[in-house]
Amino acid sequence: MAAEDARYRQTSQYQMWSFSPTQLAAMRENTNAAARTRIAERLASLPAASNTTSAPTSSVNTPDPEGASISALPEFLSAPEEAQLMNFYTLELLRAGDHAEMPDEIKATAAAFFRRFYVTNSIMTYPPQEMLIVALFFACKAEGSFISITEFGKQFGKDNPEDILAGEFLLCQGLRFAIDVKHPFRALRGAVMELSTLPDIERNRLVAAEHRAREILRFSALMTDAYFHYTPSQIMLAALSLADRGVAERLITQTFHYVAPPFTSNNNSGSETPATSGPDAPSSNTKRNAAPRSSNNSGEDKSQIIGSHIRDKVLGTIEACRDLLSKELPERREHWTNKTVIKAQITPLRKKLTKCRDPDRWNLVELQRVRREQATKKGGGSDDGEPDDRTLESDAAVFGEALPVPPKRRKVGATDGGGGPGEGKGDPFGGPL
Amino acid sequence: MAVSPLVAPTSDAFKPSRPISSPFKRQTSAVPSSNGNGTPRYPPAARSAPGDGAAMTLDPIEQLNEDEKRKYVKGKKLGEGTYANVYLGHVRHDPSTLVAIKKIKVQQQYQDGMAPDAVRELKYLRELQHPNIISLLSVFSSKDQNLNLVLEYLPLGDLEMLIRDVDRVRYGAGDIKAWMGMLTRAVWFCHDNFVLHRDIKPNNLLIAADGEVKLADFGLARSFADPGRRMTANVITRWYRPPELLFGARHYGGAVDIWSVGMVFAELIIRAPFLAGNTEVEQIALICKQIGTPTEDNWPGVTQLREYTVPSEVVPVWGKEAYMGRFGAVGADGVDLLVRTVALDPKKRITAREMLEHRWWRTDPKPTRKEDLPRKSGGEEKMGADLKRRNGILDDETNNRGAKVARKLDFGQAK
Ligand SMILES: Nc1ncnc2c1ncn2[C@@H]1O[C@H](COP(=O)(O)OP(=O)(O)OP(=O)(O)O)[C@@H](O)[C@H]1O
Ligand SMILES: [Mg+2]
Repeated sequence: MAAEDARYRQTSQYQMWSFSPTQLAAMRENTNAAARTRIAERLASLPAASNTTSAPTSSVNTPDPEGASISALPEFLSAPEEAQLMNFYTLELLRAGDHAEMPDEIKATAAAFFRRFYVTNSIMTYPPQEMLIVALFFACKAEGSFISITEFGKQFGKDNPEDILAGEFLLCQGLRFAIDVKHPFRALRGAVMELSTLPDIERNRLVAAEHRAREILRFSALMTDAYFHYTPSQIMLAALSLADRGVAERLITQTFHYVAPPFTSNNNSGSETPATSGPDAPSSNTKRNAAPRSSNNSGEDKSQIIGSHIRDKVLGTIEACRDLLSKELPERREHWTNKTVIKAQITPLRKKLTKCRDPDRWNLVELQRVRREQATKKGGGSDDGEPDDRTLESDAAVFGEALPVPPKRRKVGATDGGGGPGEGKGDPFGGPL
Repeated sequence: MAVSPLVAPTSDAFKPSRPISSPFKRQTSAVPSSNGNGTPRYPPAARSAPGDGAAMTLDPIEQLNEDEKRKYVKGKKLGEGTYANVYLGHVRHDPSTLVAIKKIKVQQQYQDGMAPDAVRELKYLRELQHPNIISLLSVFSSKDQNLNLVLEYLPLGDLEMLIRDVDRVRYGAGDIKAWMGMLTRAVWFCHDNFVLHRDIKPNNLLIAADGEVKLADFGLARSFADPGRRMTANVITRWYRPPELLFGARHYGGAVDIWSVGMVFAELIIRAPFLAGNTEVEQIALICKQIGTPTEDNWPGVTQLREYTVPSEVVPVWGKEAYMGRFGAVGADGVDLLVRTVALDPKKRITAREMLEHRWWRTDPKPTRKEDLPRKSGGEEKMGADLKRRNGILDDETNNRGAKVARKLDFGQAK
């Protein structure tokens, strides 16, 4: 776990896309509020003629101190309503992925992309029904499957490639160009292999546990915010625990009985970077020494991580993750496709959505066309000059968050022991990711 | 499942209810973002582009992108690759900090959106942070949705330039050991993160101002976490391509990169490409002649590979001694390491980790300190370009990689 943990902290998933529940809720509230404001302005500025659906007609002679445009505003989705629709569309995405017979990893990556995108974008702004197809398409690429857009589109009855491609770059931007998603599937495979070496676990039981855990990873982990809050190995353990608590506990016991190997000196990298045993080039350690956590990555931590208080902390985290996953157990698939449920809960929200969506952003193809047009106008043809200076005055100070040195957010979960030897063979947390 | 679930019965009701108007007419009043602590908040209104007539409204993600873009100033063109132009740049508020801005070309032949090279490079460089791997500092999109990768600037050329400039650049065993050490660490780190580079060659080993070698160009990289998946055999520039790929293997691992590392090692020593075949057939013939003929004896299962064909005259695998004459400059231990990297059977080939544990690194001469390594001579820019042309390997792949190789990559795997 320690090795995985140190590695995991380097990932964009941890650095950019991990939040506490409170943070995530606040971000979604903000996204929702900002979208309302923007859309209200945009709707208000639309020519009156196209506004007739909701514009009052009786105010012609009656001066309205509040202004007609205000009363013309539609009812917006609230953040919780967006969240509920989000789950509905996540399932749509998974079903689409099933329909196209995509591998688990691709579907899972697409679901993560989709939910990340809508942390900072409202579904009132960009159309979720289309973005979920875009997410699936781009997830194929991100996972190394470069399928032709025409073939891909056909599977979803989309004959015009532009319909999908128009959203690709938008999605990428929304992901802040971090397109690697770490999944718990491999950790599960590793855990099962580990468990299968134990004499006291019955084969059939293990097979059943793995099967159920995988179902949970394929559904529950994607339908909830698990990826935002927990590491892949925590999610895996929580899923395994839901599948068969005894098996999961056995694995955890096994882990914390693991005895640390005698520690080599030479700072922290002796075990993590075999480079130290290679040429004595001064570079071998520079980066790691510069890393903020490196000073902790030593034997002290290792002894802590096998200590019982750490184990308790781990158990607490896994329990919390378990609770989260149990909100969307695989059986809930029926719930989300149940006609009565849809009619009562989803359809009203979607109807509401048709009235409050962003007039300037909803049509992706049109949006892209306008953006491109604007680009050619501004760039004066060639895109390689340096016209960038003419764009916006800098608001840079406002945005603290750049890709390069993302702020360290809270630690994901409890496993902050960090950075011990990477060779923990008995470590069910999967060694390096 | 017969019916696409996306053809939802309700969907007709959700067509846009009104015509979409220009996104450029007003400015927004609130843009959510998050500050350095991850706490979202509202900055003041985004401003519109000056002198633009119509104001341009920016959404949060667009605004973030604008800010990222504005951190850098783009300068002269440094070079051109198959799928990108590379420019010199600097940090706007600190002009002394130079960067390289790699701007992905819009590929005419690739109709399927963001090009595979760009997707791969973006994905892997973002995650791999190591002193011997080129750093991705930032990403932004410029107008017309061009992807720009901001990379650390590596001003001292690449290993190929040094190898080829026989007249002006001299180096010895300690230098080779230093360069090889940096390369091996980079490859180890990739493999330890389950990433295959798949295009290791001297020209993709760039050199930083302090002499550090950095593995670059992840446009063909992929992860090999999933052993069951088929991968394309059509990767790695031919001279550096291992026999299993030449024989069309679809399942392979880190050993493919190790062979390339071995080829770079050999090339550093003899200052010419070791096995420079003009065609794949010729490449195989060269391997058979110089290393040995792959047979069931030395490589169980090799004859089952799809494109296994070897010259009829079987050459026994050469032992270490045979290399001493040509490669002896790195000593017996160095030759031992070299021979292990070019084991025909990928299962028997040394791993990156084992390479790092090899005794050669610890025998004399010591690896040269990076600051003391030989550097490219002056006036090399033009020469570099010339060499590149002269050496212009692989029209079919390097020059047209995006179109030819990449599109074949794992095509249809998603289905
Ligand atoms: N980080 C960098 N610092 C300095 N120069 C660079 C950097 N990256 C690339 N260059 C220069 O830009 C040129 C083009 O780079 P790029 O990686 O796009 O293509 P390439 O490797 O030369 O060709 P190909 O794409 O066919 O492999 C390089 O030859 C090099 O001269
Ligand atoms: Mg290159």
